[in-house]
Amino acid sequence: MAIAAPSFRDPAGFCFALHDRIFRFVATPSQPDLEAFLATATAKKFVTEGKLVSSRRLAEDEVATLRSDPEVADIFSRPDGIFLEHEKIFFPAYPYEWPAEMLWAAGKLTLEIARAALSEGYGLKDATPANILFRGSEPVFVDVLSFERRDLHDPIWKPYAQFVRTFLLPLLAVRRWKLSPADIFLTRRDGIEPEEIYRWCGPVEKFGPRMLSMVSIPTWLSRKAAPDDEKIYQPRRVKDPAQARFILESLFGRLARHLDALRPAAMQSAWSDYMGTHTYDQPAFAEKEKFVREALTEFKPGRVLDAGANTGHFSRLAAGTGAEVVAMDLDAACVGSIWRGAREKGLKILPIVMNLARPSPALGWHNRESASFLDRSSEKFDAVLMLALIHHLLVTDRIPLDEILRLAAELTRGLLVIEFIEPRDEMFRRLTRGRGELHASLDATAFETACRKYFDVVRSLALPGTARRIYCCKRKV
Amino acid sequence: MILGYIDPGQGMLIWQAIVSAFVGVLFYLKKTRDFIIGLVLIVFRRKKSSPAAPAVSNAAPQKVSSVPVEAEVEAR
Repeated sequence: MAIAAPSFRDPAGFCFALHDRIFRFVATPSQPDLEAFLATATAKKFVTEGKLVSSRRLAEDEVATLRSDPEVADIFSRPDGIFLEHEKIFFPAYPYEWPAEMLWAAGKLTLEIARAALSEGYGLKDATPANILFRGSEPVFVDVLSFERRDLHDPIWKPYAQFVRTFLLPLLAVRRWKLSPADIFLTRRDGIEPEEIYRWCGPVEKFGPRMLSMVSIPTWLSRKAAPDDEKIYQPRRVKDPAQARFILESLFGRLARHLDALRPAAMQSAWSDYMGTHTYDQPAFAEKEKFVREALTEFKPGRVLDAGANTGHFSRLAAGTGAEVVAMDLDAACVGSIWRGAREKGLKILPIVMNLARPSPALGWHNRESASFLDRSSEKFDAVLMLALIHHLLVTDRIPLDEILRLAAELTRGLLVIEFIEPRDEMFRRLTRGRGELHASLDATAFETACRKYFDVVRSLALPGTARRIYCCKRKV
Repeated sequence: MILGYIDPGQGMLIWQAIVSAFVGVLFYLKKTRDFIIGLVLIVFRRKKSSPAAPAVSNAAPQKVSSVPVEAEVEAR
């Protein structure tokens, strides 16, 4: 699917996807700066380390081929420029799907890149989580057009306010008010204004050292300034470029200290200790693990979606077989712990906070700036794991069984490993809360009948001592 | 005007300018401090490297000129 111009804010160019490839148009005036930056040792180092997306300028014949594609005809009505092709990150996850830990890591990378670019005479012209995607658990800076040649006498970092709005204040809100990045970024593209946080603070809290510099003083200064005072936005230049650089280095140092102080701590939730509190006894869990491992080893899926990943045990199992895994769970504490573990062990796991019953919608202008979860994931996975999940969808979200299996068939290109939980199961009964009769007709036979509409059942196994059965299914062609 | 397409904020931009001015002063203070330290080091090194006549010298005896004393006097 072509996305003609999802990034239209930057006059220097825009990015678009076409036939599963990622291209960027760079307007002629911005071309020399960008190409010069990409040729610097710093940029090359970041690309080699995987922290900056790789870019390749399209040759004339490739541009001609691109130009002949009717889906991008409107792009060529724009002013002259060049085209780059970027490495495609397998699964783009957006800030409202990240746990706080990933927002923090994105902020760290933004600052690291801003500091390094400074030493090459370049600056970042924006500093937002939208510039970052995750390759597995590692952040990658993807907006190469963010780099611009600095005025060496300019001591002001223009995206300072944006960095505070989109990284520091959301992390502060996570820590202080237990909000999640989704609470902030689903409705606010450009983060939280300090004035908004100021209203949430108590009278004493406004004078805390962190609140003073990030929230209260900017709010007071903003109130004091005339709303249309253009003088504020006049460039400030200093005589000595070394002084400008000293000021900026000092600013980055302060921002890094703020960011470190806001590093999210491991959280506890009802589900974060699932591996210690689940209802399986040891042999049943071992059987389940063996079943999943055998299915993954036999079908060797390259890309796996672990829906309802919980603490990520089976995501790690899949990643251990060499698969790239997207581990999805509703519980931000669990997803944060998956991210920490994956990063520590270097596993290719991208954890996202999402409820499969309410997947992320398409967002932004015309709903075209961020694709919906289903648009991004439909038929993108070789295998889908739905372990200890369907009772939550059936009971809590009241999703019909046929709908659950239809969605599974949309997500996977091949394998589905799904755990069926009978209504007599202890966890199932906890969720029904007296509504057991709604699921009275649900048994393994009914489940298999529903399953065969979309899948061929390869094999199944009753987990000993439980009211659960695990199935390995292949999608019907 | 500050060119760019992102919102630079208002209060935060003023605050950044204030802090920048303060840090700018620190830059000159640091420069002055570095200059003074540099000056002190130069003086100290000079003092250390200037040859002071030792009271009791353990140094090797100086090479005796092969030119006869009379010839040296004549040359002067």
